[in-house]
Amino acid sequence: MKKTLFTRSLSLLALTGVLLAACAAPPPAAQPAAPAQPQPAAESQLPAGWKAGIPKNPPDRKGKKLVIRDVPKLIGIGYFAATTKGMEEAAKELGNIDFKTDAPTEAKIEKQIEFIDNFITQGVDVILFASNDPVAIAPVLKKALDQGILVVGYDADAQEDARQFFVNQATFEAIGQALIEDMVSQVGEEAEVAIVTSSLTAPNQNRWIEEMKKYASSKYPKLNIVTILPSEEDQQLAFKATQDIMKTYPNVKGVFGLSSVAFPGAADAVKQAGKCGQIAVVGLSTPNQMRPFVKEGCVKSVVLWNPIDLGYAAVYAARAIADGELKPGDTVLKAGRLGELKINGSEILLGPPFIFNKDNIDNFDF
Amino acid sequence: MTETTIAAPERSRRANLLRTQEGVLFVVLVAIIIGLSLLSDRFLTVNNLLNQTRLFTETALLALPMTLIIISGGIDLSVGSMLAWSAVMLGFSWQLVGLPLPLAVLICLLTGLLGGVINGLLIAYVRVPPLIATLATLAIYRGFSFGISQARSARGFPEEFAFWGQGQVGPFPTQFVILVVLIVIAHLVLSRTGFGRWVYAIGNNEVAARYSGIPVERVKFTLYAASGLMAGLAAFIFTSRVTTTRADAATGLELDVIAAVVLGGTSIFGGSGSIIGTVLGLLIITLLRNGLLLTGVKGDATFMVIGLVLILAVLINNLVRRR
Repeated sequence: MKKTLFTRSLSLLALTGVLLAACAAPPPAAQPAAPAQPQPAAESQLPAGWKAGIPKNPPDRKGKKLVIRDVPKLIGIGYFAATTKGMEEAAKELGNIDFKTDAPTEAKIEKQIEFIDNFITQGVDVILFASNDPVAIAPVLKKALDQGILVVGYDADAQEDARQFFVNQATFEAIGQALIEDMVSQVGEEAEVAIVTSSLTAPNQNRWIEEMKKYASSKYPKLNIVTILPSEEDQQLAFKATQDIMKTYPNVKGVFGLSSVAFPGAADAVKQAGKCGQIAVVGLSTPNQMRPFVKEGCVKSVVLWNPIDLGYAAVYAARAIADGELKPGDTVLKAGRLGELKINGSEILLGPPFIFNKDNIDNFDF
Repeated sequence: MTETTIAAPERSRRANLLRTQEGVLFVVLVAIIIGLSLLSDRFLTVNNLLNQTRLFTETALLALPMTLIIISGGIDLSVGSMLAWSAVMLGFSWQLVGLPLPLAVLICLLTGLLGGVINGLLIAYVRVPPLIATLATLAIYRGFSFGISQARSARGFPEEFAFWGQGQVGPFPTQFVILVVLIVIAHLVLSRTGFGRWVYAIGNNEVAARYSGIPVERVKFTLYAASGLMAGLAAFIFTSRVTTTRADAATGLELDVIAAVVLGGTSIFGGSGSIIGTVLGLLIITLLRNGLLLTGVKGDATFMVIGLVLILAVLINNLVRRR
């Protein structure tokens, strides 16, 4: 037995030797070389100051079958299941696309890099990503660009030079406007309103508040924001802040909840005070978090973006880049049922936020 | 293990074991390589294989001292946390304190060593069982990483720093060259030195080892300290590869490391195993994961396949050895 095992090991050794030799030989040309077509000299057409990445010598993919791989932050959560759903929808509509999502089951950058690296080896045409770390993901994305792979981000960007375009789900301006419009539609143009924010130094929240104030003062000058209270990412604090607001400002007609914690806290306070319908609660959160309040009618609408549309737009952008229809400097992308999306530099804007209400909230699970 | 000739000289007994275990692993590895190369024409290419060495170097570095530790009858669960702590110290001392980068790298290595020394003291001298000691330091070191970094990542390392994790020496990734050197050293230490024989002896029977004059405490202490130092080195290479230091880096890495060592035929009860086996185990896990992803198997399904292979390898191993 020992002897046979030993000889077997030896013959295996020889076999691997052969295998290794085989793989050391230059790999056979995978595809017949594409006829040398005059490629548009992308570099020379770049608008001044263009900082986004450019794939190196990409093959002509116009109208050809595209292999698209999507690497979100992680898989197995509702939010990225929704972006995948939108991508699959777009891939089906466009046809001629081999699409798949695969990513780590935890939002970890080193695992995400490994997935992208494997897709580069696989020789895919397009990599879509939502990065776990904008800097750490950059080298592997640049490697993809160097090999002529098209790279488009969505949801969470990378360094600008590591991808070609980024689909931005919501600008601060658009969110601010949508919140004000939503409030005005419920309390009218002349009312006292208050804001429950996360912390007073939270950068996103402060940008939203800035845009809200700017928009309100120009369009609805009689909408009066009486106070801004912090909730420090604590639902109990948000609950208490809203109670204080109702006590201190008895005329208040509406409360904004500006985080996924502040919004349900504020809604809960209004509900327990028995003031559903008298005081409007408007804010930013996810459908799952707000579903009970929306079903009861205490909250009429939830402002956020639609992750399905976000994924849908990302695949349309990828196809347009491959077909040569989306180039640096363009200002509009035609994205199927979403119509024409504006482009700001290398950022494709998804457009106005999405409003979740009683009628559509059950279509979303995140 | 006990069914083999106990009275036989140490060396030949080990040689028999090695031959069978590594033979089995070799069959599995070759079968995997053949199978995957039939499924994907991108798998068996020089580029892909060399690229894989970049991704598995950190796991492999940690698996070397882990092999010795498990052979000695111990375990080190804190390697992932030590890696994160060391990486965070690198980023912290460079970006926040403003030390020059080489000094920060030295601090990174010393942090790993410190983590290992603490483990070693606890296990060898305070006599806390390794499982409990390193389970505790797993949590403590991870806590240090989050506390020191305040959950912020350090980034923006200079271009030349990328050499260690992204650069090349000739056709080979830098870290692969480092790894090969360390594999050879670990193999020689374990199979050709008195220290290596002490490690086997402690794993086989600690009491007997002590009575035969082996400095059990010192050997154990050295093993855990070496594991820490290796975690520091892995942290350095990891930071250079990923270009950022994050407190949540390498969470759960200890499981990958231990899986590779055990798949490589090292007995979890101690007393037997080899560096060659560990390397084969690493290759099997890495190539399987890579190959399955290349053939389009989803990431979560590859976990199951790797689990199955782990069980299968142990079964075949037992079967062969029983005959």
